[in-house]
Amino acid sequence: MQGFFYVPMIKIKHLVFDNVKKTYTADLGKKKTALTGLTLSVLEGEVFGIVGPNGAGKSTALKILTGFIRPSQGKVTICGHSPQISSSLKKVGYLPENPCLYEHLTLQDHLSFAGQLAGYSKEKTRERSNNLLELVQLDKSGNQSIRRFSKGMTQRAALAYALFHEPEILILDEPMSGLDPVGRKLVIDIINNYNQQGNTVLFCSHILTDVERICDRIGIMHQGQLACVLKGEELGGANELESIFLKTVSMGVQ
Amino acid sequence: MNKLWSVAFLTFKEGLKHRILYCVFIVALLAMTLSVLISGFFMRDISKIILDFCLATISIGGLLVPFFLGITLLAGDIDKRTVVTILSRDISRPQYILGKYIGISLLTGMIMAFFFAATIIAIQGGILLYGEHYFKSYSLLAVFSSTLLNYFGISILNAVVVLWCSITTTSFLATLLTLATYLVGHLMDDVVRFIESPPPGILISMPLQKTVQATQYIFPNLAAFDHKLSAAHGIPIPFIQFSVLTSYAGVYIVAVLSLSIVLFTRRDLC
Repeated sequence: MQGFFYVPMIKIKHLVFDNVKKTYTADLGKKKTALTGLTLSVLEGEVFGIVGPNGAGKSTALKILTGFIRPSQGKVTICGHSPQISSSLKKVGYLPENPCLYEHLTLQDHLSFAGQLAGYSKEKTRERSNNLLELVQLDKSGNQSIRRFSKGMTQRAALAYALFHEPEILILDEPMSGLDPVGRKLVIDIINNYNQQGNTVLFCSHILTDVERICDRIGIMHQGQLACVLKGEELGGANELESIFLKTVSMGVQ
Repeated sequence: MNKLWSVAFLTFKEGLKHRILYCVFIVALLAMTLSVLISGFFMRDISKIILDFCLATISIGGLLVPFFLGITLLAGDIDKRTVVTILSRDISRPQYILGKYIGISLLTGMIMAFFFAATIIAIQGGILLYGEHYFKSYSLLAVFSSTLLNYFGISILNAVVVLWCSITTTSFLATLLTLATYLVGHLMDDVVRFIESPPPGILISMPLQKTVQATQYIFPNLAAFDHKLSAAHGIPIPFIQFSVLTSYAGVYIVAVLSLSIVLFTRRDLC
């Protein structure tokens, strides 16, 4: 309530997929459809998790959202702008499924580059780098070449890079893959903290328990489209998401 | 503009950390040092032998940049998906392509500047060892302009690398296409000359003549940038010829990079 009038809180749609289809030309000219009509909105300040079996189109959806691939049909927007316009990615931090940083460079080099792109001063870049290195527990490895990093360290390093410019939207593709339980807890804590600051998170994962723990809403993708959307609070008992997931996948999209 | 330079600087920095660069430096320095010693066996042509050796080293050393570093830095970016690191930020694809090109060109420039300095040192070493009278025909201007034109030729090849990497999905294919372009670019001049004035008794069909003539406008004329011979004899390149070649390189690089940008912007990555 604000004064006499009730003002309903309207949340802005930060990320929108509007009937998005994507067809690839595979070997020997065969067409392969990855997305068959994905419609989905992620609201400002929420954590939205996408789960789905292998080949459901989760990663394709995220790649379209970050502008790496173009949809064959349909519309995708980030805060109302097309991801094909590079400036729309200013507000986005992206962690790909298999993060590939420059092997010969150090994590500090990557963060300095991120600082230059964000237009930060040298002092601010140094300060932000130190904070992030501490956050992802790589403060002693900042000056090591990325090629000396383990998979888990690379994953955390890429997360630090994605978070460097303080994006409003974080897009994570399998952020917990290759991490040990300690690393997984660290990433979950980072996502939770980041969301508590009012930022939006969209991520896809195979680890249903993690998705259940941190998401406000969960979308189950199957055969290139969204089969159903669940609210985190609706999921009561243990493994409920898993049973719904298995049921949805076995039934197919209806 | 700032972002473009950030990408260029990152590419340059990454290139500096590749081991191949140090191998190129070591081999080139060895070759240049040897040139001073070997030239002693050719008492009449000491200056020419040293310059022949050094300019050939500059040429080969510079050539290794597009073939090894250029392709590794660009096609490797797409192969290994490190391109995501850059393009997940608010950097447009044209900025990425241009930034990468500038980074690779800076690396080429640095290597050639280093080799040029080494050439001058080798010449000075030769003067000290054998005496100044063997170096009467030596012209610093000729060596400098020949090295600069060589650099422009390699810059064209760097742009060609960018083009092939924008289209292909593997670094192997990009290497093959660049090699083909290099060979055509060096041999085309001779082929055209042969087609235009064939030896008596040889008939060349009209379609073949037209195809060769059309090809010479598509592929870069890299042979035109090779002035090692005149530099070794101390003959400076005429200013007009130098200007024409510089303009040709500029126009060709702009055209190839523009095409690369158009193709790369339309491409699905990852």
